[in-house]
Amino acid sequence: MTDIINFLFAAVLAACPLLLGTLGETLTEKSGNLNLGVEGMMFMGGIAGLAGSYYYERSAAEPAAWVSVTIALVCAFLCAALGAFIYSVLTITLRANQNVTGLALTIFGAGFGNFFGEFIGNSTGGYVSVSQATKAGFNDPLFPFLSNIPVVGKLLFSYNFMVYLSLAIAIFMWYFLACTRKGLNLRAVGERHASADAAGINVTLYKYLATCIGGGITGLGGLYIVMNSSNGVGGVWVHNCIGGYGWLSVALVIFATWHPARAILCALAFGTLSVMRFYFPSRIIPISLYEILPYLATVIVLITVSLRKKRENQPPASLGLAYFREDR
Amino acid sequence: MKKLLSLLLIAAMVLSLAACGTTNAGNNSDGKGIAKEDLKIGFIHISDPSDMGYTYNHDLGTWAMVEKLGLKEEQIINKYNIGEDEGCATAIDELIEAGCQIIFATSFGHGDYMKEAAKNNPSIQFCHATGDAAVTAELSNFQNYFTSIYEARYLAGIAAGMKLKELNETKLGYVAAFECAEVVSGLTAFYLGARSVKPDVTMDVIYTNSWHDPIVEAQVAQTLIDGGCKVISQHSDSTAPATTAAANGVFQVGYNADMIPAAPTASLISARSDWSIYLIFAVESILEGKDIPTDWCQGLSEGAVYLSPLNTDIAAPGTQEAIDEAAKKIKSGDLHVFAGPLKGKGYNWGTEGSIEVKEGEWFEESKEKSAPYWYYIIDGVNVLGK
Repeated sequence: MTDIINFLFAAVLAACPLLLGTLGETLTEKSGNLNLGVEGMMFMGGIAGLAGSYYYERSAAEPAAWVSVTIALVCAFLCAALGAFIYSVLTITLRANQNVTGLALTIFGAGFGNFFGEFIGNSTGGYVSVSQATKAGFNDPLFPFLSNIPVVGKLLFSYNFMVYLSLAIAIFMWYFLACTRKGLNLRAVGERHASADAAGINVTLYKYLATCIGGGITGLGGLYIVMNSSNGVGGVWVHNCIGGYGWLSVALVIFATWHPARAILCALAFGTLSVMRFYFPSRIIPISLYEILPYLATVIVLITVSLRKKRENQPPASLGLAYFREDR
Repeated sequence: MKKLLSLLLIAAMVLSLAACGTTNAGNNSDGKGIAKEDLKIGFIHISDPSDMGYTYNHDLGTWAMVEKLGLKEEQIINKYNIGEDEGCATAIDELIEAGCQIIFATSFGHGDYMKEAAKNNPSIQFCHATGDAAVTAELSNFQNYFTSIYEARYLAGIAAGMKLKELNETKLGYVAAFECAEVVSGLTAFYLGARSVKPDVTMDVIYTNSWHDPIVEAQVAQTLIDGGCKVISQHSDSTAPATTAAANGVFQVGYNADMIPAAPTASLISARSDWSIYLIFAVESILEGKDIPTDWCQGLSEGAVYLSPLNTDIAAPGTQEAIDEAAKKIKSGDLHVFAGPLKGKGYNWGTEGSIEVKEGEWFEESKEKSAPYWYYIIDGVNVLGK
């Protein structure tokens, strides 16, 4: 029984960075921008958050954990949003090719993260590491009192605050897209920007905001990987630590068919499959086959979704296209 | 006329290229050696030093060698992040073109490319760490080297065993990269070290199937800790297992780098190799025009492996003394890491086998060739998943 609880707990922790990445990319894609630079923005968010927290702790006389955690969150969000902003300028204003720009952002972000991670590490003579208090801030249960309830406590109340934060973002984003006027506008921009423009929606503004805020959210996913200690590197900069989670997020957006609430389930399914081989080792299935289960699941879902061709499961119609008002 | 001219130009270019090729090659086979200022040394690294693990540690050896031999920084050409694929062949070609007389490669999978290059460039020395192909290749300019890291692992295992004894627990965990001799030799030595001070200890092992995948390393460490392991160790590159141990209030024994700064409340000690011992030896040999042995492996006695400082704040009392005593015995030859009775079977890159070492006998690791070849899982070690 404890095994199963530990397993489910680990699955949720593994799902969280994927969920953040998926949500950020969903918001971006809803505006018609296909930003493949999620991996890069995760790197940027991760290093910026770590650096912000690290330098705050070094400069403050008596660093407080909650301030350190807040600074990390803000820095991660802003730095990843900056990455998305570069992307936006190139693709929205200058109408560059979205795929190429996104790939460039991935390469740029990975270099950015590793460079500064190494740079700060060298300047301190080894590892960049945040204090125990900050690590605890990112890893300790948000509801320590409730987490002592047997079974339910561990399964529902003992996660770190970022898990609940990502759930809140998912639910809010679902509400925003489905039930608000601004959400409707954003979807209109992603579906047919020319029509949205004709309806008086500021297409450029919507695209910029959605892409930058989406980028910032993916940056929080990067921060999670840097700060989390059972599904990440625990508050230390480790070379190439994002390890493909950005790309998985891009795939998960399709897996979740551009639906923020569905993204929770998809990320959870992916997280479950990715830690399953550790908790339920098999002597029959070879490890290499066991390892590809999450990817296999993605492929199957992609095939079924594209076979069924349900209208509400389709990508935003203008996804990947640049908008040029005079061009019609 | 134009065609003739272009043909002539092409011919001239081809000839000049060929000329460059011959002048670039260093020459060591005449036994005369090389002047120190003419020396150029190439390195093929699988990662870069910011991994704070294997490559970092090997790179430290490079710079120690440079300082010891009084070389200049520009005499070293490092090729970082070279995968175990065709990119490796390109990197070797670039190093040859740059005029390197000796080339080191650090990862197992670089071996085939090194061997091929050694065949085609008989005047250049190729030294390959962790590989096992030199002994059968019969090329005078292709060598393997490794350290007896299992000796340091054994001693690090003592620190883990002492900690378990203090906690009154019996379970170790091990984050292992691949199912192969290099990894299994290390984990067995670690386990035997722990068992020497805590006889009832058992160890869970999970493979990450990667040398460097921090997230998976953390997940595996968490799984081991969830399974009741109170001290974990690793054959993987990053500090993720150390920070995972710290967050869970258990302890960790590191590899390749002193991991105490990353996890001061968890990291006890680390087993490390000092690659400069070999690098100095190999480079000196080529400077003096001497041959480098086909297989080189040294350990504790020569200082090629060592332990990072013990974290005395958290280590069990008496740990340092126990380690020192065992180290003395290993150096004097009174203690053998793989001493019988041992029984096990295992798998190594496609070959399967089993072994039985009887009471009073011992298994000689890294004697026939420098790379480890103990790949047997013994009783008390549980590999989870296959």
